[in-house]
Amino acid sequence: MERRLNAELWDKMHYLFRDFNDRMVHVELNYDFIPDIEALKTVIICAFEKAPVLHSKFVDTKISTHWKVMPYDIDDVFSVSYPDNVEEAVEEFLTQYIAPDADIQMKIALFIKDGKSTLCMVENHMCMDGGDLKYFIQSFCENYSKYVTDGISPINFRTGSRSYDDVYSGFSKTEAGAAQRLFKNINAKDNHKFPLTPDNIRDKSFIARRKFDESTFAKLKARGKELGATINELLLASYFYSVYELAGFPASDKVMISNAIDLRRHMDSVEDKGFTNHTSWMQCAIPERGRDIFETIKYVVRSSNKFKKDKFMGLYGLPLLNFGYNILPHAASEEIIKIGYSNPLMAMSNIGLLNGQHFALAGKEPTDAFMSGAVKYKPFVLLTATTYKNVICLSMCVRGNEEDKKIVNDFFDLMEKNINTIIG
Amino acid sequence: MKDFIEYIETSCADLKDNHLAYLYKKKILDEMTDRANEITHAGLKDEKVLADLMADEYPDLKGNFLKFQKEQRKKKLANLLKIVLPVGGLIFLILMFITYFEVSKATRAWDKTWLIIVGGIFSLIIFYFSFAIHKLCHMRRIWHPIARVLIAGCVMLFTVFMFLFWLMMIPRLTFWPIIPGGIILMLVCDLIFAYVTKQKFRTVSCFVYMPVISTMLFIILAAYNIVSWRAGWPIIFLGLVADLIYILLIALSNAKYFMYKQEVEE
Repeated sequence: MERRLNAELWDKMHYLFRDFNDRMVHVELNYDFIPDIEALKTVIICAFEKAPVLHSKFVDTKISTHWKVMPYDIDDVFSVSYPDNVEEAVEEFLTQYIAPDADIQMKIALFIKDGKSTLCMVENHMCMDGGDLKYFIQSFCENYSKYVTDGISPINFRTGSRSYDDVYSGFSKTEAGAAQRLFKNINAKDNHKFPLTPDNIRDKSFIARRKFDESTFAKLKARGKELGATINELLLASYFYSVYELAGFPASDKVMISNAIDLRRHMDSVEDKGFTNHTSWMQCAIPERGRDIFETIKYVVRSSNKFKKDKFMGLYGLPLLNFGYNILPHAASEEIIKIGYSNPLMAMSNIGLLNGQHFALAGKEPTDAFMSGAVKYKPFVLLTATTYKNVICLSMCVRGNEEDKKIVNDFFDLMEKNINTIIG
Repeated sequence: MKDFIEYIETSCADLKDNHLAYLYKKKILDEMTDRANEITHAGLKDEKVLADLMADEYPDLKGNFLKFQKEQRKKKLANLLKIVLPVGGLIFLILMFITYFEVSKATRAWDKTWLIIVGGIFSLIIFYFSFAIHKLCHMRRIWHPIARVLIAGCVMLFTVFMFLFWLMMIPRLTFWPIIPGGIILMLVCDLIFAYVTKQKFRTVSCFVYMPVISTMLFIILAAYNIVSWRAGWPIIFLGLVADLIYILLIALSNAKYFMYKQEVEE
């Protein structure tokens, strides 16, 4: 009998984002040992069985949408290879695209060379966001470890509702009622673009990364305390300042960068919830560039404080989206939502701290860990930040050409320069 | 498979060993085997993990037995209805025609007894529609509008019969207001259905129906000279007043949410 899953609000929203990005979330974990391949396969199958959305195809009938659970073979999900050039193989694997109507929504690969291994995952953002993917990997690693060391079956994965309205679960009845009536569309349009080249059919997806060492992280933390800013705000300020410099925006221009926020902050617990998306945008705008980077930091802190004081941060517009998807057939709803929704041209997502212990396989922590958001289509860009073992990694996934790669690297140079200015 | 049998037997140890329990255990075993085959086909080789995964998917076998019992009863009833409904309908029609001929012969009122046939057929249609409505209500929401149409159909059939009955039996009384009365009944039934089954846009339906109901009410009252045709028309506005009161009630119940002030920590 056909098994169907509901297409939830965020699944549909990320499906709508197909015009703006490839919706793939990327993970790379480097280990200095080779994990048990058969055990990995067992854990992956258990994870897929507990989260059936990962082996489902998205069905869009134009009238409505749903997930259809599909049969799969572990060899289609998980591959093991021994490449000469691991970096190249990883890049090729991570920049692949999984179509929403494919039978599986997550692919995992293990690249082995010289007794070391790199575990990579690519997943459709429609199934879960970075926050839940982090939790998924943590469960994955814990299950693997217990299975390999104690022989405990790796079935301890979260299951449950994937509904968007779980975000109201942490509120009182009145608060939830008020939050469910936030019909205001807070999408503000800003035409300032990241200066990439025009679209070209030869464009290819690439992931550009820049790392900042432990000392930079420590100095940023200390400087943040002095300036009354979080590391995220300092990174955002240098993003603003660098993009003004790179794109040559007039210093008096008001510029906006959207910042991804995890809506799970509003929830009591996620233990009984399934893997899903609970991420929204907070629009951080600065009125002008500022005379120096420190003035930019002040503007950023002021802007983000406005949001922090809001109990319903990130929840604006959700009831409107839900209403939009409920009143009309899916195809018509999409057209109507597209009119009111403007995708941020420049955005940032701070996935935050990646805990080595959480990603340890049988007690062995990864030597390096990396996560990043979707490959954006020009002119949209998303800067992703992760921190592993006090090393900050900034990344940008773009579908572009060599010149775009150079522009993104120039941007990272400017980020580096501005971060160095901040830490003095 | 041996593991599954063991698991089912242990979990269902307290159940009475009868045919129903056997059917339940067999159903669970078949389902587990099918799922296990699917998972094995996906590539899982460790049988202990497979057994644990299956046990995790079927955690409360004893508790689910009650559900199974209910399902079985429903199934039996459904099977019975499949026979009873057409056969019963046929018997009803035969009895109806016999009654019609007997009553007509006895009373010689052939000009009125045809109401027995009309009433009988209408009742049979309403009876079948009721089953369809019940079934549609348990289906996905996309089918619910059909149930609403069928409810309207039932009410209109009832109204038409009442109209004909009145026309034939009490011809001296004004009979045509039964039709606007039927419209009121139809709208009220639809609203009850919409609110009980929590249909989308039920509030909109209510807003639209109120003025229609008040207009029909005015026509009925005027037809029986309870109000005059000239002076009674303000009754029509009662619907709009009811709409206004309804809007105010909704606004009042929502006010606490819209007026909600956040307690902000500075």
